[in-house]
Amino acid sequence: MTMRLRPAMLLATCALLAVTGAWPPVAATELRIPPIQFHQRTLSNGLQVLSVVDHSSPNVAVQMWYHVGSKDDPKGRSGFAHLFEHLMFKSTKHMHAEQMDRLTEDVGGANNASTGDDVTNYFEVVPSNYLQTLLWAEAERLSNLNVDQKNFQSERAVVEEEYRTRVLAQPYGKLFNAIDPYSYTTYPYKRPTIGSIKDLQAASLRDVINFHKTFYRPDNATLIVVGDFDQKQLDAWVDRYFGWIPKPALPVPPITVKEPARKKNLRYTVTSATAPLPAVALTWLIPPASHSADTIALQVAAALLARGDSSRLYQSLVYRHQVAQQVGADADGRIGPGLFVVYAILASGHQPAEAEKLLNEEIIWLATQPISTAELDKVKTQLLTSELEHRQTAQGVAFALGNATLIEGGPEHVNTDLAMLQKVSAADVHRVLQKYVTGARSVTIDYLPQATGAAAATANGEAK
Amino acid sequence: MSRSMKAVHLVLLAAALMASGGVSAALPMAAPTGGFPASPPAPGPVPKLAVPIPASQTLPNGLQVVSVRRAELPLVTARLVLRSGGEMDPPKLAGLAELTANLLSKGAAGKTAPQIAAAAEALGGTLKAAAGWDESAVGITVTTPKLPKALALLADVVRQPTFSAAELGRAKAQAIDDLHLMLSQPTALAALAASRGVFGTGAYGHSRSGTPASLARITRADVQRLHASLYRPDNAILVLTGDITPARARQLAQASFGDWPKPAMPLPVKPVGKTASRLPAILLIDQHGAGQAGVVVAHAVPPRRAPDYYVGVVANAVLGGSYSARLNEQIRIRRGLSYGASSRLEPLSDAGLWLAAAQTKNPSVPQVLDLILAELRHLGRSTASVHELAARKATLIGSYGRSLETTEGLAGQVARLAIYGIDLQQIDQYIEQVQAVTPGQIEAYAHRHLDAEGSKVVVVGDTSRFAATVRKAHPKAEVVEAAALDLDSPLLRMPTRGGLPTD
Repeated sequence: MTMRLRPAMLLATCALLAVTGAWPPVAATELRIPPIQFHQRTLSNGLQVLSVVDHSSPNVAVQMWYHVGSKDDPKGRSGFAHLFEHLMFKSTKHMHAEQMDRLTEDVGGANNASTGDDVTNYFEVVPSNYLQTLLWAEAERLSNLNVDQKNFQSERAVVEEEYRTRVLAQPYGKLFNAIDPYSYTTYPYKRPTIGSIKDLQAASLRDVINFHKTFYRPDNATLIVVGDFDQKQLDAWVDRYFGWIPKPALPVPPITVKEPARKKNLRYTVTSATAPLPAVALTWLIPPASHSADTIALQVAAALLARGDSSRLYQSLVYRHQVAQQVGADADGRIGPGLFVVYAILASGHQPAEAEKLLNEEIIWLATQPISTAELDKVKTQLLTSELEHRQTAQGVAFALGNATLIEGGPEHVNTDLAMLQKVSAADVHRVLQKYVTGARSVTIDYLPQATGAAAATANGEAK
Repeated sequence: MSRSMKAVHLVLLAAALMASGGVSAALPMAAPTGGFPASPPAPGPVPKLAVPIPASQTLPNGLQVVSVRRAELPLVTARLVLRSGGEMDPPKLAGLAELTANLLSKGAAGKTAPQIAAAAEALGGTLKAAAGWDESAVGITVTTPKLPKALALLADVVRQPTFSAAELGRAKAQAIDDLHLMLSQPTALAALAASRGVFGTGAYGHSRSGTPASLARITRADVQRLHASLYRPDNAILVLTGDITPARARQLAQASFGDWPKPAMPLPVKPVGKTASRLPAILLIDQHGAGQAGVVVAHAVPPRRAPDYYVGVVANAVLGGSYSARLNEQIRIRRGLSYGASSRLEPLSDAGLWLAAAQTKNPSVPQVLDLILAELRHLGRSTASVHELAARKATLIGSYGRSLETTEGLAGQVARLAIYGIDLQQIDQYIEQVQAVTPGQIEAYAHRHLDAEGSKVVVVGDTSRFAATVRKAHPKAEVVEAAALDLDSPLLRMPTRGGLPTD
């Protein structure tokens, strides 16, 4: 699956809360949540290992994050990093195809993986007595991948069906798939993660071998373990199964191209045979996610615009003017240049231009007019509560650590970004919006249903 | 790709593996004693899953208060659940229960919709309301200190909704747009049509989200009438999960819902869920321009309180309940025909639904359909191996355990027990019940309830690419244009020659 990683989440300040079971005073004005107490080390072959002990459930989450994503797809092979991710579930020297499922699902665990622009992560959760088994299995597929032609072809067909499911069968799939190709001119983010049927069909087993050799290596990976285990035991197992894997002599190929600043506003049109209603999306370039002060202020801006029914875009476009049935805003921070995206799916009888005008008005208003403390507090509380919900599970904690480490600039960001969020002011929101959005150039994508392609069922005697 | 090229690649691969193996000897850290183990290390002793135990209390007005304590983080999920949902939609008013649930937070107790959204979001949560079959619910997850305010807001929207004409108009327009969006997705449309095929004119057979025509018909009086008859304390359960004790749950429930009066009139009786269907066994719906087709196979199964409930759960797990289950194994893993094939079991109050679905490229529809039907035949005519059954039971049990790790998951599990009047202590007996299911029971269940010959099949896609082939194996398969569908009719379309009139 190419599921795009959950956008970097932000946390409110945390100090230790003793969980005593006593009812916290209702008068408490500021909630305190415990920081994630992670343990960190790096093996001599370069493998980074992060771990958090938590005995609250008898499970353990094991995640391998590789510092490779669709931005590293080989030339003429868009979608390859993602296709490769699927192949990591096929055979290795000591495991038969789908044995990873035998070691997880069949013993009461689960596994999956995702590919984004910058990273590919493989994640499992298993009853904690299978931790050693899973460490062996992850070391095995890092060091001993061995895919055959038959498995390669059947899995490539699965990925082609995934393309059809995500891009063709989803009424707004083509729109969201068009955002990156139209938003970047130069940086390799311009290739969609899912790729194209043509490029997928051009891929070969030789590409698989080269890709594994180039990017799947201990010095290009982060292992994250969270849950019910003993730290010393974990360290010994990690040394045993991962320590011997060689660090290749050649460095990982860096991406050196720069995305140039946009010189003018651009507009594109995409059509759909099945979408029942038009849509419009606007994007602007933003700095890398590791520029925390700007990134976090942009996340707050996106939340003010579109998080929940009380947000500004929802209130304007969906509620008051009723030109849209759905709106969204996202500060999509990446390792390289990211995107600030706003979009609207129109309500019946309305056109993209109406929504675009209102989207721009709301953004300009937010970028220039006073923002109340109550409204800022609201989005901070929303972001904190949502993050707490994610942190209820070992898997959720591991994802937060992985995003912090690979995207946001380092594992400490899982805790330090909280303090920064608390300090975001109206002036910060104004500053980043004026710099990256209202004072910069946009790309606009109009998404239009094809006149002949309306495919939705209608009832007899539909009233208008 | 030619055979000679394939050979070249295999040689290359072998060389690459040997190279990496060769270098390892020169590394600073030695390979594990005796080399990297060729087989996975054996698991340690099995850890114990501790299932939190629910506490149930009833207020004098009949409101059941269920709480489950899980206090690792300062979070609580609060959910007010009614034991009635879309099955209570009156004839011709499909979608009324869902529209009513959606409208609860759109104005209540003197506050406007924007004021309620702002109040909920200032507490850090979102009021989520929905109607399903046999239930309607509105809930919110907040940090512990915000809980009293969140419950007061929940009580406002459940007890004193405004149902203003303006909000009703907005909600109807949005519901119609949402419906068109849903119906443009091949599998969603196929599942809707298949439910009609399974339940006929029964209460579970109609579109719970309504139809464009039924939504247009709904008036404010209809919404008020449904609310007055179903939203009452003796038809409700307040579920509180997370950082909360039973005593605190009762205290807060009493404060927000204690003076909610119980009406004198009796609760309305639930309608019959299922009647004989008049839909063809195989229906192919033509959706012009569909980039992929949705294939759905459905069956009626016993209701939730039937004694063979857990047999159904395990039978579904073997067939299509997870990635490694038979349908995905045959369709995705072995043949690459779909991104995923799966099935789900939905046992309800008066009947139940089993539904399998896969999306595939249009030309693969005949093959995918026959693979699904073959698996149904296979399950009903042979016993699953002990090995396979152990694996699928482990998958079920593990997934169940994980569902209890979050306050929302915990609320969902206890609410489903409470809605059907099942002893809440059953939450701790899931593992035992699943383990007790035998291969023979599964075979008998599949033979009786999931027989391939009795399947209701619906395919939505570009029929020009597959209808002729499907008809070779299934001559009675009928084709209908998506644009000609009438979702209000039990036949899904206007009567044709020899067809029965719709009601």
